[in-house]
Amino acid sequence: MFAQQLVNGVLLGATYALFALGFTLMFGVLRVINLTYGFYFSAGAFIALFLTRQAGFGIWAALPVAAMGAGAVAVALDWLLLSRLRRVNAPELSSLMVTLGGVLALYSAATSILGPDIRRLPPDLVASDAFVLAGLRVTTAQLLILLATAVMVGALMALMRGTRLGLAIRAMAEKPDAAGLMGIDTGRLAALVSFISGCLAGAGGVLIGLNFNAIHPYMGEAMMLRGFVVIIVGGLGDIRGALIAGLLLGVIEVFTAGYVASGLKEAVAFAILVVVLWTRPSGLFGRAVVRRA
Amino acid sequence: MIRRHFTAGLVTTGLVGFGAASLPALAQAQTVPVGAIEILSGPAAAYGIAIKGGLDLALDEINQKGVLGGKKIALTVEDSAADKNQAINAARKLIGRDKVVAIIGPTLSNEMFAVGPVTNERKIPTIGTSTTANGITDIGPYIFRTSLPEADVVPVTFKKAQARGVKTVALMYANDDAFSKSGFDVMKAAAEKLGLNILAIESFGTKDTDFAAQLTKIKGLKPDAVAISALVEPVSGVLLQARQLGFGKETLFIGGNGSNSPKLGAIAGAAADGLIVGSPWFIGKPDALNQKFVAAFKAKYGKDPDQFAAQAYDCMFILAAAIDRAGAADSEKITAALAKTSYTGVMGPFTFTDHRDPASAEGVVVLEMRDGKFGIAP
Amino acid sequence: MIIPPWLDDFLWTYQNLIHALGINGLLALSMYVVLAVGQLSLGQAAFMGLGAYSSALMTLKLKLPFFMVLPASCVVPVLFALAIGVPTLRLSGVYLAIATIGLGEVLRAVYLNVDYFGGALGLSGIPERAETWMIYGLLFAAVAILWLVGRSGVGRAMEAMREDETAAGVMGVNVGRYRMGALLASAVLAGLAGALGAHVSSFIGPNEYGFEPAVTILSYALLGGIGTPLAPVLGAWILTLLPELLRGFSDLRLVFNGVIIVLAVLFLPNGLLSWRMKRRGA
Repeated sequence: MFAQQLVNGVLLGATYALFALGFTLMFGVLRVINLTYGFYFSAGAFIALFLTRQAGFGIWAALPVAAMGAGAVAVALDWLLLSRLRRVNAPELSSLMVTLGGVLALYSAATSILGPDIRRLPPDLVASDAFVLAGLRVTTAQLLILLATAVMVGALMALMRGTRLGLAIRAMAEKPDAAGLMGIDTGRLAALVSFISGCLAGAGGVLIGLNFNAIHPYMGEAMMLRGFVVIIVGGLGDIRGALIAGLLLGVIEVFTAGYVASGLKEAVAFAILVVVLWTRPSGLFGRAVVRRA
Repeated sequence: MIRRHFTAGLVTTGLVGFGAASLPALAQAQTVPVGAIEILSGPAAAYGIAIKGGLDLALDEINQKGVLGGKKIALTVEDSAADKNQAINAARKLIGRDKVVAIIGPTLSNEMFAVGPVTNERKIPTIGTSTTANGITDIGPYIFRTSLPEADVVPVTFKKAQARGVKTVALMYANDDAFSKSGFDVMKAAAEKLGLNILAIESFGTKDTDFAAQLTKIKGLKPDAVAISALVEPVSGVLLQARQLGFGKETLFIGGNGSNSPKLGAIAGAAADGLIVGSPWFIGKPDALNQKFVAAFKAKYGKDPDQFAAQAYDCMFILAAAIDRAGAADSEKITAALAKTSYTGVMGPFTFTDHRDPASAEGVVVLEMRDGKFGIAP
Repeated sequence: MIIPPWLDDFLWTYQNLIHALGINGLLALSMYVVLAVGQLSLGQAAFMGLGAYSSALMTLKLKLPFFMVLPASCVVPVLFALAIGVPTLRLSGVYLAIATIGLGEVLRAVYLNVDYFGGALGLSGIPERAETWMIYGLLFAAVAILWLVGRSGVGRAMEAMREDETAAGVMGVNVGRYRMGALLASAVLAGLAGALGAHVSSFIGPNEYGFEPAVTILSYALLGGIGTPLAPVLGAWILTLLPELLRGFSDLRLVFNGVIIVLAVLFLPNGLLSWRMKRRGA
């Protein structure tokens, strides 16, 4: 049972990490706690729902289209809500507030249009039977999440460290004004970072919706609170930190529910948050990677 | 879509409508004003819409003949949106402005705990059709309910499970809503009373999607049955994940009132097969009264009624009969008449206890899920 | 004095709304004091919940009279504000915002899991001890005090912090102390509002003090603006009355609140936090 619980914890943690990747990237580069992020997650899941249910797409076709659709939503919302504030160098809290208002309006509007019901992707989209390996059970959807998390972390790290684009993004994260003077088009770069974050969120929404059989307008909000914990504990803007913090949180939550009391599962995440804020407010792993490297 | 129609109809009932307070007085000679407070918007709107459907259907039949020698019942349905304050506002408006003689609802037990003291203070009989938590009728002598409390339904289900050889049970419940929590309290009491061995008690949140930790723990304990008290969405999630984690036919799943919804089959599909649940009503009940109700409901709304619609349908008739017996549109007299109710409706024979709860649980049937649909459990 | 029956009926019918206007006014002020020093707290609903639960328990379990319960209801929110404020206020404003969201969630889990707090069933049967005059008396007092503070040297320091915190610090404003003071004042106001709310509605539940009410309170303050203490109260009144005037509107209430926040922040130059408090002779 211990081994199965560990597997459960890692799988849950992978969903948290998958969710938090784009969130922490967005903060690291654009320096904004963008609360509309949760909505991209819901948007990705709903686009995939439409594609698979109405347009007959398979999962491999639906996943990239949904991810890019969510990316487009992210760019549009960034332009609508944040580009203006960036131009006038508004205080950080203005951006937080504007996205807070925006996400409340978006969730409520989505709920009144789409209805609050929980929907699921077609059950035959991926094989729903679990693989049994040495007594441990893992489903196809769960393997997909592990794989996707690994691929995305790897690709993001490679992008940041090994390409000119990554260099420009890091420059912008470090000193936006200086980057602008050096000829980097910060407006376009911001849109690009929004797009990448949106794609990550959208892909996460599809896979997590698939895994938990639950797609509804507020699904992003439910993940958002865990997302905060992951990006604060991992360090704002730290991609590797988000991965480690996500996995840790998943394992701790599962062990709390499995061996202490299931009622405490929710509280433990925020208890960790408070302890980290008290002791290591810059995150467990120090300074942010995108800003440092 | 349905929701839009309702809200359009409700626009005039706000503050601005107060000027019209004298109009009902004129019409009062011909009609008996009755209010209902139900959830018509927001995430839990499905319950209120089903209830309103049942009430309206019953009202169509009642108003063909009328009450008190030909007067029509004028039903005003207010939306509570599952919000405590909106429910209280609605109750105050129904009583203070619309001068209703009785109120049906509100939908949720939590809302009743907020609304009940207000209506009870003004001595307006208030009848819950869907409030199943403990302690509802303790609010005061004007608070009634026609819905069987979980305490009457769950033991019937558990007895059925025991008859099938269940000796050990694990309990799971959503710990963040009153409905699921009080359902769990009842399950625990029922299991203890029947001498079932409770191996584990696990909780989760109504909006949770991951139950793997709890289910893995339960699986390790190998209980004969797993009983779940929660709304239909999390129950579906639990069942789907349980099958992935390797729970098979050897484990009996038992649902509470929340599982008693056609949506269970729609969301969970084959994963829900074999689940049993107690219900005060069943769509396939063969008696003529029930079959007529089901046919009429389908004809009017184009879909099958659920237990909430059935309970509301009966409640409207019970109230209409009480108004008739009271002999006047007077709240005190109606309250006294309600207490003496003896009525046979689609749920079966109905009377109130001295404590204004339903007297008999005879009508309870145990249902079993097969291929996405409920049938009578063998 | 004889109250005509129609007026009596009118007051009874809208009693809950009249109470809500006063209580939401207090909540708007509790947001205002934090925004006035350039911070953002999303813990107003959590503080309110602490006030509501602690006061309801004092009434129900300890049987204390209301004149003792009401002032005592501020104690618990203040303690929590200290615990949250000490680590976060030395960091950038984002941390306070996130920590206060977290606070609401931790408290919800506590209310749900501890039987003493009634679990999911909440606390019912709370006697109606709060009177309309108490609510409006406190609201009036709060507006008056904040008005006087805003016109004093303290108000000038707060404005300086909103404009440019570093500069304010250099000019000798003790930034940390002002931030903490504002957070504590905010906890007091929200705690009072919670206690009053619990004692007019007979039932409180664990799900009433979460994220959505917190954002709604923010929209009160942002609709009114933080130019004067009266403005957020007006914002609260407009947003409380609107769903009652337009019943069909209640479905879209949250959409509307969200849009108000967006518009308020975007279409005021350089964001809302740099609004000047209007002070004559300054």
